[in-house]
Amino acid sequence: MLLPTNSTGVSFQQELYHSVTEKTKLFASKCVNRAVSPVKSKSRDSSPRSKFIFCACGASSEEKDDKKPTAKWYVKQPTWRLWGEEKTDGALYTVYLKKVRYHRPTKSVSSSSYSDSDDEISHLEWETVRVRFVKAGTLKKLVEALATDDGELETTYINVFLATYRSFSNPKEVLKLLLQRYEELAAPANGKPDNHEQHRKTLISALHVWLDSYPEDFKEPPNHTALKQLLQFCEEHLPATELEAKVRHRLDRYSREPRVDPILTPPPAFAMRTATTGGWKTYRLPDVPVRHFAEQLTRMDMELFKKLVPHQCLGAVWSRRDKSRSHEAATVLATVNQFNAVSFRVISSILVDPLLKVFERAQIITCWIDIAQELRVLKNFSSLKAIISGLQSNPIYRLQKTWQAVPKEKIELFDELARIFSEDNNQWAQRELLMREGTAKFADTVGENDKQLQKIFQKQNNHTANISFGTIPYLGTFLTDLTMIDTAIPDTISDGLINFDKRRKEFEVLAQIKLLQGAANAYQLPEDSMFDRWFDSILVLDDREAYQLTYQIEPSPNSNNTSKNRKKSSGHKKNDSIASNSSSNSSQFYCDIDSTPSSPHNSIDRKLSPSQMSNSSSSSSLPSLDVSLNSSHSGSANNKLQVPSNSTGTLSPNHSQKSSPDFYIIKVTYETDCVETDGIVLYKSIMLSNNERTPQVIRNAMLKLCLEGNPDSYTLAQVLPDKEMVLPPNANVYYAVNTAFNLNFILRPKKPEDADNSSGKNSKGKAKS
Amino acid sequence: MTRPPNENLPTIKLVVVGDGGVGKSAITIQFFQKLFVTDYDPTIEDSYLQHVEVDGQWCILDVLDTAGQEEFSAMREQYMRKGDGFLLVYSVTDKNSYENIVNFHTQILRVKDRDVYPMLLVANKVDLVHLRKVSEDQGRELAHKLGIPYIETSAKDPPLNIDATFHEVVRIIRTQPQAELEKRKKKKLQILSKCVLQ
Repeated sequence: MLLPTNSTGVSFQQELYHSVTEKTKLFASKCVNRAVSPVKSKSRDSSPRSKFIFCACGASSEEKDDKKPTAKWYVKQPTWRLWGEEKTDGALYTVYLKKVRYHRPTKSVSSSSYSDSDDEISHLEWETVRVRFVKAGTLKKLVEALATDDGELETTYINVFLATYRSFSNPKEVLKLLLQRYEELAAPANGKPDNHEQHRKTLISALHVWLDSYPEDFKEPPNHTALKQLLQFCEEHLPATELEAKVRHRLDRYSREPRVDPILTPPPAFAMRTATTGGWKTYRLPDVPVRHFAEQLTRMDMELFKKLVPHQCLGAVWSRRDKSRSHEAATVLATVNQFNAVSFRVISSILVDPLLKVFERAQIITCWIDIAQELRVLKNFSSLKAIISGLQSNPIYRLQKTWQAVPKEKIELFDELARIFSEDNNQWAQRELLMREGTAKFADTVGENDKQLQKIFQKQNNHTANISFGTIPYLGTFLTDLTMIDTAIPDTISDGLINFDKRRKEFEVLAQIKLLQGAANAYQLPEDSMFDRWFDSILVLDDREAYQLTYQIEPSPNSNNTSKNRKKSSGHKKNDSIASNSSSNSSQFYCDIDSTPSSPHNSIDRKLSPSQMSNSSSSSSLPSLDVSLNSSHSGSANNKLQVPSNSTGTLSPNHSQKSSPDFYIIKVTYETDCVETDGIVLYKSIMLSNNERTPQVIRNAMLKLCLEGNPDSYTLAQVLPDKEMVLPPNANVYYAVNTAFNLNFILRPKKPEDADNSSGKNSKGKAKS
Repeated sequence: MTRPPNENLPTIKLVVVGDGGVGKSAITIQFFQKLFVTDYDPTIEDSYLQHVEVDGQWCILDVLDTAGQEEFSAMREQYMRKGDGFLLVYSVTDKNSYENIVNFHTQILRVKDRDVYPMLLVANKVDLVHLRKVSEDQGRELAHKLGIPYIETSAKDPPLNIDATFHEVVRIIRTQPQAELEKRKKKKLQILSKCVLQ
């Protein structure tokens, strides 16, 4: 007997692979047709392209169908032809005619090449069959469609369904319908029993696939309701089956598991061990191993990327999310925050020491370019773009003299790397690169004019013939594509049916992400805690600080130094109606933060930058401009300040005689009697301007330390070698500090008997919740 | 509608900015999608390119809308640098998005190192009358303060002012040539330094 081939045997991975290879082909054809016409011309212009046109063969074997095809005929794949649409109660189908090759069972394994040579095969081995795809339907119909009309499992369909159903339903509802469907089919009065048995088997397979690919759907701590419901169902209908065992095992494991995912909670890197504060070695830009740095950044990105839940990227979840419930997109946020954290570190490492010589600062820029180049080799497009963005941010970009001191070939390299992220032609360069190298072993794609990258890849290929890397994409492009799909395609069509074609479109993007996640396993990267410490210790400047420093380093050419600074700050004040840049009105700003205690972020993003709390709680998407963004980790000052004895030219007090700075950078530690922070010192670096008084400085410190409450219930003291100097309640701190020593401070809640109210006690430590 | 001429047309890069959730993407999609209603694909290279005729002159509009990437705050200046003109979009149902406009405005001027730049203030979602939190007066007041024109839009069917918005930015760009920009920049600088000196 001859069997029609169908796709039910295709595994998920292959499906993904197929989807992506198809895309790759599109890209390839795009390269060819680039100058002539856009790739989608097949659907937009009606001119026939002969190689895609097939005549309607085998029409006799089509099922009789009175309906004339209504839609325009176009070819989806060479062997597929759109027939039209078909409507039933509660569902709308797209019908295709598909040429199916019959093969003899004996040859089935060996005929691996047949799919490539469709055209050459004799028509005797073909038949045209009608294939229906669900275009839209009620939820009930969509769940029913998990099994085909013949009761087979539709693998593509189930993959699309499971990846996207959260946009139109939830696990509970789908599970209920699925179990209901099973019970319906199991009911004896329901006609042909044998066919239904196949259907039921398929529903069980669907449950297996669901449990295996989306375990988090069944987690719902603490009660695991869905899992319990499923267990009850199994006990009733499927006792002693594989499914029952799986559910039971899963339930058992969840109930023993700790609630929180260690990767997504504030990591120990967040804090630093006191024990090591004295003598640890640390990295200092620009004299760092650039390859190692790139690897470490990639390790950080990789951990987050593997944890990324693709369906959290869906437009309905990510861009339409209610900001107060952003845990629904927590893994996406974590990626975004890491990206920003890298960019901000690039910016601050270049600016933080305004006394560096031009060539020294140029060396730091060069160092970042070198790290970026290594990231390109590692195919880490996330941190690569973060570094490019940092270097192209205005406070860095405008430093003309500094850039002039960067070697010419490094500038060329920088331009080549930046071109990858050119917005031209809808991010064509980046998309193409991802297609070519997404699952390739190593990077080797260069543009025609990329001289520097050519050299680098040549060198690389000589040395690392057997190395294979994963790929970490820049997630933002996917997020925009998914947002656009979500906006462009309606959720429901024809009187409220769920538009499943939209979900298929979304799945194309999700499938790429999944594929790359799989490829990311190829990275083998060592873990270096010294790097983590360095990363956490970098002082992150907020927008105001960055501008202050960049103009201090290179005043605007149009005006002299002072007037420029004053102009800048006046312009700033004029515009910043919600945020503040001066001590006089930052109390208002402080209140802003305080009035939005519904910090939407759970622990996940706090890892990357505690500050994001303030950023996004104000639902501002412009945090870097206004909110004192204090994305600084709890890390201490810039790396130089950690090594005061070594300060060749920093803002450390030693230099105050030489050139009296407009501000100091001070390190503030929060002292608490909390047990969990025992033995750990949390530093924050803050800027201290020359008119700031004690309450203001305490406020700034509290912001950076993510503390809430009344500044009056804290005291601030400078740590001197033999004692502490407690600052009077309304001192001008800039003048009060003892600049003969390190500018280390301790912030501590007033003792209850000191304070008028004890709110300070209660309100501390948001960061640790 | 006349056919676009074949010779090389000037390409104008427009950048759409604004908070997440203000409906940027809906404005962009509404502007582009009417041509390709059936098979929308956001990943192809000419998704956001369109020939338009404004006041009898043709040009190619290249629109950059990074909807969905709002929180990648660090990369914003990178793409702002490429824009010839900007749509500053807020939603009239979201006061925060209105208040943030001033920050986008500041950031664009800084990146461009100018005191004026072609921009249009777009008050979106005006169809949601009962949810409106920012009045037309407030919108116009802000536009006046920033020295840029104001327009109200809705991307819901039937769309309001969507084409007009894009055409208006093209006009603004055309009427503010580089030389003019430079001149105004100098003038403003003088005014500013006077203010400072006082």
